[in-house]
Amino acid sequence: MNRLKLAITKGRLLEDSAAMLERAGLDCASLRAPGRRLVLEIPNYPLDAVLSKAPDVITYVEHGVCDMGIVGKDTIMEHGRRFFEVLDLGFGKCRFALAVKEGSDFYGTYKTRRIASKYPKVAADYFTAKGMDVSIIKIEGSVELAPLLNLADAIVDIVETGDTLKANGLVPIETICLVSARLIVNTASMKLYKKEIFSFIKTCEDGLK
Amino acid sequence: MERFYTKTPEGTRDRLFAECRTRRAAQSKLTSLFKKRGFSEVETPVVEYYDLFAGSGRPLPQESMLKIIDRSGKILVMRPDCTTPIARVAATRLSGGEFPQRLYYNQTIFRSDPAHEGRESELAQCGVELIGAPGLKGDIEVIALAVDALLACGLKDFHIELGHAGFFRALSEQLGTEGAGELRHCIKLKHYAALTDLLSAYGENPAARALAQIPLLFGDASILDEARALSDDSSALSAIDYLSEIYGELQAAGRGDYLRFDLGLVSGLEYYTGVVFRGYAQGAGRHVVAGGRYDNLVGQFGPARPGAGFAVYVDDLAACLPPTAVPRCETVIHYDPGMLEGAVSLLDAQPPGTAELSPCDALAESRSLAVKKGAKRLLAVTAVEIREETYV
Repeated sequence: MNRLKLAITKGRLLEDSAAMLERAGLDCASLRAPGRRLVLEIPNYPLDAVLSKAPDVITYVEHGVCDMGIVGKDTIMEHGRRFFEVLDLGFGKCRFALAVKEGSDFYGTYKTRRIASKYPKVAADYFTAKGMDVSIIKIEGSVELAPLLNLADAIVDIVETGDTLKANGLVPIETICLVSARLIVNTASMKLYKKEIFSFIKTCEDGLK
Repeated sequence: MERFYTKTPEGTRDRLFAECRTRRAAQSKLTSLFKKRGFSEVETPVVEYYDLFAGSGRPLPQESMLKIIDRSGKILVMRPDCTTPIARVAATRLSGGEFPQRLYYNQTIFRSDPAHEGRESELAQCGVELIGAPGLKGDIEVIALAVDALLACGLKDFHIELGHAGFFRALSEQLGTEGAGELRHCIKLKHYAALTDLLSAYGENPAARALAQIPLLFGDASILDEARALSDDSSALSAIDYLSEIYGELQAAGRGDYLRFDLGLVSGLEYYTGVVFRGYAQGAGRHVVAGGRYDNLVGQFGPARPGAGFAVYVDDLAACLPPTAVPRCETVIHYDPGMLEGAVSLLDAQPPGTAELSPCDALAESRSLAVKKGAKRLLAVTAVEIREETYV
């Protein structure tokens, strides 16, 4: 069997992925304690894992240097295009929401609204679908600051519990979509290693039961 | 302006030596095969009017075309695709001639992608268009040629995957046109989860049940039987029967081992009307061949003609081939004043790329040049003799 290469998003998705694979019987000791190593072997399954930042997972899979990847739908919506999205892994659940300062009336003005977001493409696609012309401003860090400093009328961001928004006097007014971790596959790998990839998909499904 | 004068624009690059050789070797193997099969070369302009590509039903987003505004204010684009201009040629310049016409091209196309994604914006494509040959014989000629083209380049581990535009079209029409775009998007990305959600609205509708299975319908010829069992729609079934027929013909022609199927091959459906195919090779992260039948394209520019063809992505293909060795300089030729003719004919007698003339006046300088170049010998052409000095 061909050894497959899987790119996994570092952080919480890595923990959840390791838990899923362990439930399916894989030895994930190397994933649990990677140390400084970036390419990790799974001893009892023909799989090597690469740990990286979320957008890099997509880059590796699109270019075919990794056959598969585990990455959040949020990153896929912002960066992704050319790969197969084969499985909703169900963990890493949160949602994209539109949030405004408490008490402000987002729709009650003729002014072109300004939206701050770490996800400018997601924000732009959302308002394009609504047929609404807005101006979008990219923020790298704490997006919640933008409305507080009057830089933006609203933000588009990932919301898990809503506590951070609440602590900053913001309220989510619309859910854009739900987000969770996905298994993605390079288009050529899918065709060349169908058997191996389907058996890995089955392994993931077993680990999710 | 000065900041950019030593760089090439993003997505473009210089190709040196071995890279050029591998690419040229692949191109010349492809074009000599195309010629052998009776195809004639056409070249179309590198820049064309934007309207050609905007109105042709090509599913190419405007932001992925490189644009230029000409002196009169018209929008031009750098050729983003080779088939559309050739369809234009077939409908205009060739319209009075006899069909079928067998045309091939060896050109580059240009794409504009978002920055820093490591994609090339200048892509070499070498391909064929068979215009005016409808039906099975046209299709099997083109598909057999695609298999042979990859074999001719020396690829061994590859396959060509066939799909049919009619299968998805027949099933999705049963669900109504609304939402067909989104269905196709999910199938194209093999996005099982979202597809199942999307189709759950149709309940037990047999077409919806069949569509939900499409992303899984890829692999060897046995998937055609699986597909047949999924639907009793006559046009969906006739698409499957047609693929079986193609497979039978190509198997009889000894090309069956290179064929696979993917009924989820639904990209570019605005354009393809029948069989569609893609070639995948070990070592390439994306397809190295793309093609299919487009019976409605030529008619957009003049009298309607059926068409089928494919393009080989030469750079992706070359990346799968073993690197070509570049010959090294083994002989340096020094010559005395007035001896150019003798030196050049000596040079021409060496294997190409292994010898060069020394530009130095003094023999001692030529010697040190030969040593620096790592040459094995120096030939000194004088009025009386050709003297050879060898180095270890």
